[in-house]
Amino acid sequence: MKSLKRQIQKENTRKKIIETAYRIFSEKGFSVATSVIAKEAGVSHGSIFVHFPTLNDLLVCLVSEFGDKMGESLHLLAKKDSIENLLAEHLNVLEEYEAFYFRLISEINLLPNEAKSTFVIIQSKVAFHFSNIMEREIKKGVIKKLPTHMMFNTWIGLVHYYMLNKEFFSRPNESVLHRYKGELLSNYMNLINRESEV
Amino acid sequence: MKICIACGMPMESISDYAANDPSRDYCIHCARHDGEMQSFQEKKENLVKFIVRTQGFDEKVAEKMAESMMRKLPAWKAFFE
Repeated sequence: MKSLKRQIQKENTRKKIIETAYRIFSEKGFSVATSVIAKEAGVSHGSIFVHFPTLNDLLVCLVSEFGDKMGESLHLLAKKDSIENLLAEHLNVLEEYEAFYFRLISEINLLPNEAKSTFVIIQSKVAFHFSNIMEREIKKGVIKKLPTHMMFNTWIGLVHYYMLNKEFFSRPNESVLHRYKGELLSNYMNLINRESEV
Repeated sequence: MKICIACGMPMESISDYAANDPSRDYCIHCARHDGEMQSFQEKKENLVKFIVRTQGFDEKVAEKMAESMMRKLPAWKAFFE
C-alpha cells in the first residue's frame, strides 16, 4: 500500500516537473536553469534529477511529449479536402502551441539530436498530409505544377519567418499567427493557384 | 483506434489498414502490394524518398532522420538494439 502511494506521488512529481518545464521553457527558452524549474514546480532541486538525470533527458522527454501532443492535433489535417483548408488547420494547430513551437524553431540548435529529430517528425507529419492533397490538386489542375518540397518549404519558411520575427510584426503578448493567418494563407494560395497565373 | 506499429499513423477507418483488414497492426502505407508489411530496409528506403521528395533534405540527413523515426516504433525497435 505504502509503495503504491509512493509510486503515485512519484508520478505526480514527474507530471508537475514536466508541466512546469513546458511553461517555463515556453516563456523563457531552453537555457533556463533546472533550479528555476524546481522552484516554480515546488519540488526540491534533487527530485528533478531523480526523474531526469541530465538536462538533456528533460529536454528530450519534453520535446517528445510535445511532438506526440501536436502530432495528435495534426491528424486533423488528414480530414481536410483542400490545400487551403489544410493550411488553415495547420495554422490553428501552430497557434494552439505557439509559445513552445516558437522556442523549438528559434533554439533548435541548442537541443540534443534526439529532440531535433522530434521536430523533423512533426514537420514530416505535416508534409505527409500536405503532399497528399497538394499532389492531388496539381493533378486536378487547380495548383501550379511545382516540386512538392519547394511548395512545402515556401509555406513553412513564410510561417516561420513571421514567428521568428514576431517582435517586428506584432505587439508584445500578441499572437503573431492569430494576427496574420488570414493574410499569410490568402497570399500563399494566390502564389500557388493556377487561376492566379497572368 | 490502433496506431500503425511501423509508422505511427493513427488508423481510424478500415481503408487506413493494410489490405482493408482491421486485424492487422500496420497501415496501408507500410504494406507491400500483396498486403504484407514492408521489410525494415524497404520501409527505410521509402521514408528517405518521402523526406527528400516532400521536404528536400540532403539524402544522408534524410537517412539519419528516417532511422531516428523508426527507432521509436514497435515494429523496428529490435533493429536498433
